[in-house]
Amino acid sequence: MSSAKTLYLNLKEISEVHSRDVYLRDVADVYCSDQNIQNRCVSMKIKTVRAEGKHRYVENALDIIRKLEAENPQIQVNNIGKVEYIIDYQPPHPPHLLWQWAKTIFVCVLCFCGAAFAIMTFNNDVSVKDVFREVYLLIMGKEAAGPTILELSYSVGLAIGILVFFNHFAVWKLNTDPTPLEVEMRLYEDNISKTLIQESGRKEQDVDIT
Amino acid sequence: MWILHEGMLSLVGLAAGGVIAAGVFAFLAIIGIFPRVIGKTGTKRHILLYETVIVLGGVLGNISDLYEFPILMGGRIMLAVFGLATGIFVGCLVMSLAETLKAMPVISRRVHLSVGLQYVILSFAAGKLAGALVYFIRDMAA
Repeated sequence: MSSAKTLYLNLKEISEVHSRDVYLRDVADVYCSDQNIQNRCVSMKIKTVRAEGKHRYVENALDIIRKLEAENPQIQVNNIGKVEYIIDYQPPHPPHLLWQWAKTIFVCVLCFCGAAFAIMTFNNDVSVKDVFREVYLLIMGKEAAGPTILELSYSVGLAIGILVFFNHFAVWKLNTDPTPLEVEMRLYEDNISKTLIQESGRKEQDVDIT
Repeated sequence: MWILHEGMLSLVGLAAGGVIAAGVFAFLAIIGIFPRVIGKTGTKRHILLYETVIVLGGVLGNISDLYEFPILMGGRIMLAVFGLATGIFVGCLVMSLAETLKAMPVISRRVHLSVGLQYVILSFAAGKLAGALVYFIRDMAA
């Protein structure tokens, strides 16, 4: 073998695995112009999970590169993905449907009451009713007796505003952007991964180091 | 003339509703309660359902707030569920506010706190509980 083959390695930041033996294909995309080498490399075992329950391991690309080059001396590894990555081991167990739905319903109740509470406190805080009375007087020239069209259109406008803001129903979707909640979810998960990686790299000897 | 006035009113209402909805619900999405709860329960695949429920909660809550129509169902159980859910919600809310999130690391660094951060959090929760109880029992609302 005269010239070294280049093996491109694209490590994903976080990969969820369910089996105790973790292979390279579970955590990375691999490309090599030589199909045989590629096949051999993706089925290389990179870790055996020892923990009983779910556990997150922060790993380093250097270990993988060292192992790959030790087993295949004729290749040169080029890592185009993450340097530090997370293996998120979750024990394989059948999903408990009832429990899953119980959690979903719990979050639904929380979302519903939270949203209702938030809009009520907001309405109270800024005295929406008083403002509406003023606006009614301003436009109609007389005091309002009971709820008016203003409250009705405000409620409708509120619904439209939320739907537009959350970009929610596929039929009415204004564009293909993810919804704000999906964006926030993504950010939250990214922050978790970033924190995990940085925590593992920071060896705390004393109380605090910066 | 009547049509003009009513049209004007509904225009004002629609515009106000739209803008306030965007503001209030942007706040809800950004404050990070929902991502946190969804992350904790690991139910990300239902995210669209949760949005539907948030929309419903906002709209129905607003309507019942403005029109003050009685729901008349569930009785005390309904009250307890609503109270518990809003309690959890506000609990997450106050802990995600910048003053708390930024103040805690500063304090723990100033006094060189090295162990027992969980007890600090626990005391936080206990303090909130005691504070809320005292507030309602002594009727401290202005």
